[in-house]
Amino acid sequence: MDDESSGSPTPTKEKRASLLGHDGVGGGASKYLKDLPSRGLFSSRFPSSNLGSIRVYVCDHDTTPPEDQVIKTNATNILIRSLQLSKQKNDAKDAKASMEVSRGKRVAARLLDGKSSAKRANTGVASSSAGSSSGLSERMLHTMTVERLRALLKERGLSPKGKKDELISRLKSDKLR
Amino acid sequence: MSVWNYVVTAHKPTAVSHSCVGNFTSPQELNLIIAKCTRIEIHLLTPHGLQPMLDVPIYGRIATLELFRPHGESQDLLFIATERYKFCVLQWDGETSELITRAMGDVSDRIGRPTDNGQIGIIDPDCRLIGLHLYDGLFKVIPFDNKGQLKEAFNIRLEELQVLDIKFLYGCSKPTIAVLYQDNKDARHLKTYEVALKDKDFIEGPWSQNNLDNGAGLLIPVPLPLGGVIIIGEETIVYCNGSSFKAIPIRPSITKAYGRVDHDGSRFLLGDSSGLLHLLVISHERERITGLKIEHLGETSAASTISYLDNAVVYVGSNYGDSQLIKLNLQPDEKGSYVEVLEKYVNLGPIVDFCVVDLERQGQGQVVTCSGAYKDGSLRIVRNGIGINEQASVELQGIKGLWSLRSSTMDQNDTFLVVSFISETRILAMNMEDELEETEIEGFYAQAQTLFCQNALHDQLIQVTASSVRLVSCTTRELLDMWNAPPGFSINVATANATQVLLATGGGHLVYLEIGNGKLNDVQHIQLDYEISCLDINPIGENANSSVLAAVGMWTDISVRIYSLPSLDLITKESLGGEIIPRSVLICSFEGVSYLLCALGDGHLFNFLLDLTTGRLSDRKKVSLGTQPITLRTFSSKDATHVFAASDRPTVIYSSNKKLLYSNVNLKEVSHMCPFNSAAFPDSLAIAKEGELTIGTIDDIQKLHIRSIPLGEQCRRISHQEQSRTFAICSYKICLINNDETEIHFVRLLDDQTFEVVSTYQLDTFECGCSIISCSFSDDNNVYYCVGTAYVLPEENEPTKGRILVFLVEDGKLQLIAEKETKGAVYSLNAFNGKLLAAINQKIQLFKWMLREDGTRELQSECGHHGHILALYVQTRGDFIVVGDLMKSISLLLYKHEEGAIEERARDYNANWMTAIEIIDDDIYLGAENNFNLFTVRRNSDGATDEERGRLEVVGEYHLGEFVNRFRHGSLVMRLPDSEAGNIPTIIFGTVNGVIGVVASLPHELYVFLEKLQSNLVKVIKGVGGLSHEQWRSFNNEKKTVDARNFLDGDLIESFLDLSRGRMEEISCTMGVSVEELCKKVEELTRLH
Repeated sequence: MDDESSGSPTPTKEKRASLLGHDGVGGGASKYLKDLPSRGLFSSRFPSSNLGSIRVYVCDHDTTPPEDQVIKTNATNILIRSLQLSKQKNDAKDAKASMEVSRGKRVAARLLDGKSSAKRANTGVASSSAGSSSGLSERMLHTMTVERLRALLKERGLSPKGKKDELISRLKSDKLR
Repeated sequence: MSVWNYVVTAHKPTAVSHSCVGNFTSPQELNLIIAKCTRIEIHLLTPHGLQPMLDVPIYGRIATLELFRPHGESQDLLFIATERYKFCVLQWDGETSELITRAMGDVSDRIGRPTDNGQIGIIDPDCRLIGLHLYDGLFKVIPFDNKGQLKEAFNIRLEELQVLDIKFLYGCSKPTIAVLYQDNKDARHLKTYEVALKDKDFIEGPWSQNNLDNGAGLLIPVPLPLGGVIIIGEETIVYCNGSSFKAIPIRPSITKAYGRVDHDGSRFLLGDSSGLLHLLVISHERERITGLKIEHLGETSAASTISYLDNAVVYVGSNYGDSQLIKLNLQPDEKGSYVEVLEKYVNLGPIVDFCVVDLERQGQGQVVTCSGAYKDGSLRIVRNGIGINEQASVELQGIKGLWSLRSSTMDQNDTFLVVSFISETRILAMNMEDELEETEIEGFYAQAQTLFCQNALHDQLIQVTASSVRLVSCTTRELLDMWNAPPGFSINVATANATQVLLATGGGHLVYLEIGNGKLNDVQHIQLDYEISCLDINPIGENANSSVLAAVGMWTDISVRIYSLPSLDLITKESLGGEIIPRSVLICSFEGVSYLLCALGDGHLFNFLLDLTTGRLSDRKKVSLGTQPITLRTFSSKDATHVFAASDRPTVIYSSNKKLLYSNVNLKEVSHMCPFNSAAFPDSLAIAKEGELTIGTIDDIQKLHIRSIPLGEQCRRISHQEQSRTFAICSYKICLINNDETEIHFVRLLDDQTFEVVSTYQLDTFECGCSIISCSFSDDNNVYYCVGTAYVLPEENEPTKGRILVFLVEDGKLQLIAEKETKGAVYSLNAFNGKLLAAINQKIQLFKWMLREDGTRELQSECGHHGHILALYVQTRGDFIVVGDLMKSISLLLYKHEEGAIEERARDYNANWMTAIEIIDDDIYLGAENNFNLFTVRRNSDGATDEERGRLEVVGEYHLGEFVNRFRHGSLVMRLPDSEAGNIPTIIFGTVNGVIGVVASLPHELYVFLEKLQSNLVKVIKGVGGLSHEQWRSFNNEKKTVDARNFLDGDLIESFLDLSRGRMEEISCTMGVSVEELCKKVEELTRLH
């Protein structure tokens, strides 16, 4: 090997080492290298490099896992799952509310709706929100656009002006009334 | 060549991507598990070092490797996920020593964009779930139930699209991940999420950390009592856990790997891209962090994984250089390094380019690879077979036999070398000056050919000649006793050990003598039906000095027989079939298994398992080693016994995994061999070959031998020039110029024997070497090196300027003869009809070598062809040009001499992103693409329409699972013209993970046979972890997945030889072919590499 290729890696190394300089001197690591964990392995003074050869594994036994341990991914689309989830939550909430207001019939219908196919569930949400707002929870109101809220307010003959929060609270107070 | 191809690995992957430590094989045993692309290796940590246990092939490219321990388990389980979205959980069964599949599954999603930064697979420290980040915006969860079983997986939407790293945090009541990500303004932040298993959703985590180091790329979770996470950046290291925050600056570096030293996470090892090793120390008082500190320890190979083993010993796995076992010393050495390299594990990866040469001119190819990256760059000379390092040699004609003798039984070393000739015997001995000198042993008869001689018990020597057996004292060297052949009969063959002599005289007489103290006793004598051709009584039983069995080879009925000693009762007779007589028999033992080897006069060898108690022979196998008679001899090397088969193709027979292996010795023809362990030549062999006697040591007994030539810089292209006996390489290194890291590219000339750099040509700033060939031009006798370059400017997407440089080697120096500027990068150069064919960006261009008026030469453009995206790879055959495009697969061009034009003939219309191409034959071309697939296309020259003729039909598809950088015609082994395998053409390939493989084009008949064998093997050899072979080998890219066709998996087929006898018979039954025949066929295939 000529001088050029063997000579120059060394200076860069030195340079890098000197750039390190938190402690300046290299000797600083000693105190941190004390008491390295040991369980008595590699205790021989001169570790042997020749401890036998490696066996190539040939697998001639059955490797299928136990039947219930063939793992598949839940096929439900995450978007739909999140909708269902929020729906379930709302339903639970609504169910509570409706018990008080005794409007069980509608909720039961909607619960059925929730169990049907994803697509149905989706349209179900759309249609229920398009219908009357009587069953709308606060959370659902929040998911609606301002225009939609205004339409609902107009339906009820309320003022469609103000910020979204104001619209929602107006609708809510109307609902409670 | 043909479309029926056989793909086999000659050198397994060596680049290490993952490693982990845990109690995998037993609750008491500590294991290191290493992932090498498509294989995992299990090692055992012992007081003496690292003991290799098992090398396990996996049907997939390993993306994640993690050990974990579910509640209630006493030992760790291994989680493996592959790049093709399969995962499995493996458990070690200590009783059967088998890997059991605990669980497996498919984690792919139908829609989803694969992550840019690689797959992430992590396991909750409290074993509540496995987390996978495989597609942008999705986090897959595989939950555990309370019995440690896995449940149905589900996806959670992850808002962060550019994820850099995800880790589970320690000590959280709900499983919590920390996500390091980059936002759309390229700023980097950390966020935490709790995984709500019941709701299958994320809940905003307890804390987050915004605006981190721009180079932050690695998270290290810190175990309790501290908890929290360390964020490793390029200029800072930050610790945070929501309540406390600590940051320290570091010198700019890119940390690639970390390893935890202490169980409580107070020390970590960090390895950066330039191979520097640091210790990160976290000091804390209970749950409160008090300081971070980073200490430089020393230099290793650039690490891809670091595993702290035990007692200051650390495993550093690398995919850019050799992996290492290092020890951290308490005191620095004179260079200030705390790192002591205990061991290096050879890694050829990444093989960027290679060439096949025959440096020793013996008709056997060697592969010289451009291996390693950056500072770990090197050339590796990969050679098949075992080399003999010659120590001394004498010219001696007509050697008929060789034996070594000790001067006394007590002596450790051999003193005498008995060389037998047709009518005399000469004795050589080491003299005081350690020279071989002719000497005498008075009691020996020197005027006849020696048939056998041996050290015997009671400090005696035995010599057998045609007429007599002589017993000689070692001390006085005088004749003690003599046994004479009966008058009219001469001794034909003889053998002996320390206490016994067996000989055969004409007429089929078999005589057994025992050696007493100063006395030869004629014990038994029988007459056989036919003449005896060979004998052996090598003692391998309990008694090291005498044997109870004798092996005898016969003329006429062509059989090998086992007789009992001393009674000479026939125990077994095995007819060999055919008409070739056995020339040499040997009883020997490898790895505790006894064998009988029997070599025929035509270079074939039988091996049998020998039952030492009953004398029965079983498991007959036949292999072809050469074409001439074979002489068998045992020798030891490194405490193991091997057999040397001397013939026209000398071979060493050895055993690994209780399987006999044959490795050729890199010598042309050897007639006799004996071990000669003298004081001056320890552990040597004396070898009689082609009129000379050589004494030499033997290489380690293994199949492939690899020699490293470290360059200290990365080598990208290599070419060999026979005429000047040199290599030329394109290489580069990174130098600091004005504190800026700059690549400097070179063309270097190396001597092909010493591998010393003899001349260097430095390329311009920004100029890099892209291609290099050795070629000559029409009307010019010189052989040149042509180098194609590109000017890679930071502001350009594609180079718009390059050069072709033509060098002549004069007095060992590179002389620049001509240069030609090009309008782009010269990706490929080929000698073509006495001209030079270059691929320049999207264009193929042909250059003539013109003589100018002043006598100088220049390259002049003749014609060209446009129509590629980037013509990266070009191969030629006759007037045909095959081009591998960046993304437009393979196309075929034709050069028309009359018109001086190049035009396209046909193309493959698939959108394959090519990485290498080669021409198999006139009509069939082989390609490798960047989804790790191989495919072949066929030219349809008989097509009826232009449209058909213009299409390259895809005829073969196969998932190799390796990124191929180069194909080259050639072979790693010496080819025997008579054997079936000798006529099979082969192509060698080199890959990023250091694999050297062979693609062999089989005759159709053999292909059909092997295809049947493969389909039977798939039923017997199961994929580890329940992974399917068929799925693994199916051609797969973003667009399609189709079953492999017209390619066979040689690795699977050759594992037939590793099966138990019972399994072999199972396959033999369904195939309707005998086990012996199957073994012979497969063994012949193993000789392709």
